[in-house]
Amino acid sequence: MNLELKNVTKAYGSFKALDDITITIPENKLTVIMGPNGCGKTTFLRHIVNSYSSKMSVAYVPQETFGSIGMTARDVVSLGRYDKSKFYVRESEEDKKLISGAMKDMEIEAYSARNLDTLSSGEKQRVFIARALAQNAPWTLLDEPTANLDVKHADMLMSVLKSFNRSCIVVLHDINLGSLYADNIILMKDGKILSSGDPSTALNCELLSEAYETHFMSAQIGERNVYVSSKL
Amino acid sequence: MEKKRHNVWYKVIISAVILVAVMALSCCLGSVKIPVKDVIGAVTGLTEVSKATDTIVNKVRFPRICMAALVGGGLAMIGAVMQGLFKNPMADPSILGISSGSAFGAAVVIVFNINFVFHGFTGTYLGAMAGALLAWFLVYNIAKISGEHDLNSTLLAGIAISSILSAMITLLMTLHRESMEQVYLWMLGSFSNSTTQRTIMMAGVTAIIFPILIFLAPRVDVLKLGREAATGLGVSASRTTGILLCVCSVLLAFCVANSGIIGFVGLIIPHCVGFMRVYKMRGKLVMCFLVGAVFTLLCDTLARTLIAPGEIAIGAITSIIGAPYFLYLMLKNLMRERRMR
Repeated sequence: MNLELKNVTKAYGSFKALDDITITIPENKLTVIMGPNGCGKTTFLRHIVNSYSSKMSVAYVPQETFGSIGMTARDVVSLGRYDKSKFYVRESEEDKKLISGAMKDMEIEAYSARNLDTLSSGEKQRVFIARALAQNAPWTLLDEPTANLDVKHADMLMSVLKSFNRSCIVVLHDINLGSLYADNIILMKDGKILSSGDPSTALNCELLSEAYETHFMSAQIGERNVYVSSKL
Repeated sequence: MEKKRHNVWYKVIISAVILVAVMALSCCLGSVKIPVKDVIGAVTGLTEVSKATDTIVNKVRFPRICMAALVGGGLAMIGAVMQGLFKNPMADPSILGISSGSAFGAAVVIVFNINFVFHGFTGTYLGAMAGALLAWFLVYNIAKISGEHDLNSTLLAGIAISSILSAMITLLMTLHRESMEQVYLWMLGSFSNSTTQRTIMMAGVTAIIFPILIFLAPRVDVLKLGREAATGLGVSASRTTGILLCVCSVLLAFCVANSGIIGFVGLIIPHCVGFMRVYKMRGKLVMCFLVGAVFTLLCDTLARTLIAPGEIAIGAITSIIGAPYFLYLMLKNLMRERRMR
C-alpha cells in the first residue's frame, strides 16, 4: 500500500511544522527525507505513525530514546514482536527467527545479554533499529538512525534497509549517503516539500542550496554525484 | 532463551517458597513463642491447638503477617511500575503525592480527635484513605489539564501537591503539639493495627489489581521505546499511562491507609529484582510482589520482636536493613557489569 498524504498541516501555535503537504510515498522503496533542522522531518514521520498505526503495524524509531530502559538488548529487540504476541504466549519460531535475524543484521549479538543502559549511544541505536526490524511491519520509519553510528555501521544499516525491499522512510542528514541508497528522496524546507522523486531528479546543487541556505557544489566520482557545501 | 524463561519461573517458585517459610516463621515468633506445628495447625485447622494459641495466631499474628506481605508486595510492584513508566531508577510510589495525602488525612483525624468507627474501619484509616484519594484527584486532574495524559506534568503535580500537604502536616503538628507524637508515629508506619477485616479487604484489592498490572506489564516495556514507537506497536501511551497510574494509586491508597508510610520498599525492591536479572516487566512485577512481601515481612517481624513487647517503627527497620543490603547488591552488580565490558 502506498502512503497517500493529502493537505497535511500540523501547527504548534502559529508555527506551521507541516504546511499543506500532499505526497504519495511508494511502497517497497527506500525513501529518504532530508532537509535543514526544524523543517518538519520528525513531525512528518510522527504524523504517519499516528495516522496509520490504527490500520497497520508501523515500526518507528525516534531520534533519541530517553531514560533508563533497564532491559537486556535481546529483551528490547523482542519488544518488536509485541503486537503479534497474545497474552502469555511464548515466542513463536517466527518471532525467534525475526529477532535473531534483526540482531544479526545490526551486529548486536555480542551484547545480547547486556543491560541496554550500559551500552554506548551507537550500540543502543543499533538495538533500537533491530527492534524495529524485528517488528517486520509493512512500514519502517527511522528518524536519523545514523546520528550516533560510525561510518561502517551507517553504511551497513543503509545497505540492510536497501536489501530488504521493504517500505522504509528514513530521515538522514548525510546527503551523499542518502543519494547513494535512496530509491526516492524527499527534500523539505519550512514544513513544505521542496522536491521529491528519485535521487537524480530530486537532488541538485540549486535545490540543496535553496534548502540549506548555503552554497552547494557537486563533483562526479565514478558514476555518482557527490554534493558538498562550498564552505567545507 | 528457553533457559532464561525457565530461570524466571525458577526464581518465582523459590521466592514463593521463601515467602511461605518466612510467614510461618514469623507466626512462631513474638512475645509468646509458638511451635511451627501449632502454627500450621491453627492456620489450617487440621490439628487441635489451645484456645490461646488459636487467638494469637489467627486473630493477631496471621492477619498482621498477611497485611505486611500484601502491603510490601504492593509497594514494590507500584515502585517497579513507576520506575518503568517514568524510565527513572529514582522513581518510587511517593512521587504520586498519595502518601502525603494519606498522611494528611490521617493527621487531620488524629489532631482533631475525630474518633469514629464505620463498619469496623477506624477514623484514621478512613481519613488516610480519603486524603490519599483527594491527593490523587488533584494530581491526576492537574496533570490532565492539557488534555492528554502527560507523565512529566504528573510528576511535577505530584511533587507540588506532596510538598503542600507535607507542609500542612507540619503546620498541624506545630499547632497541636499534643498530637505530634501520634501523627509522627503513624507516618513512620506500622502494621500493629491490622485486623482480619482490614487484611481481607487488602487481599481483595490486591486480588483485583494484581492481574490488571500483570496484564498491562508488557505495555510498560513497550512504552519505554517512546510514545510513537509504542503507537506503532498498537499501544496507546496516553491511555495505558492513565490506566496504570489510576490502578497503582488505588493500590497505594490502600497500602498507605493500612500501614502508614513505609519508605524504601518501593524504591529498592525493583532494583534488587533487577540485580537478580529479571528485567522484563511481567516477571519483574511477580518477583517484586514476592520479594517485597518477604522483605517487609522480615522487617515487621524484627520491628515487633526486637524490643518486645514494645515496637520499633517499621520505616526505620526497612532503611537500616534495606539500605546496606541494597548498597551491597548495587556494588556487586557494578562489578559484574564492569567485568562484562
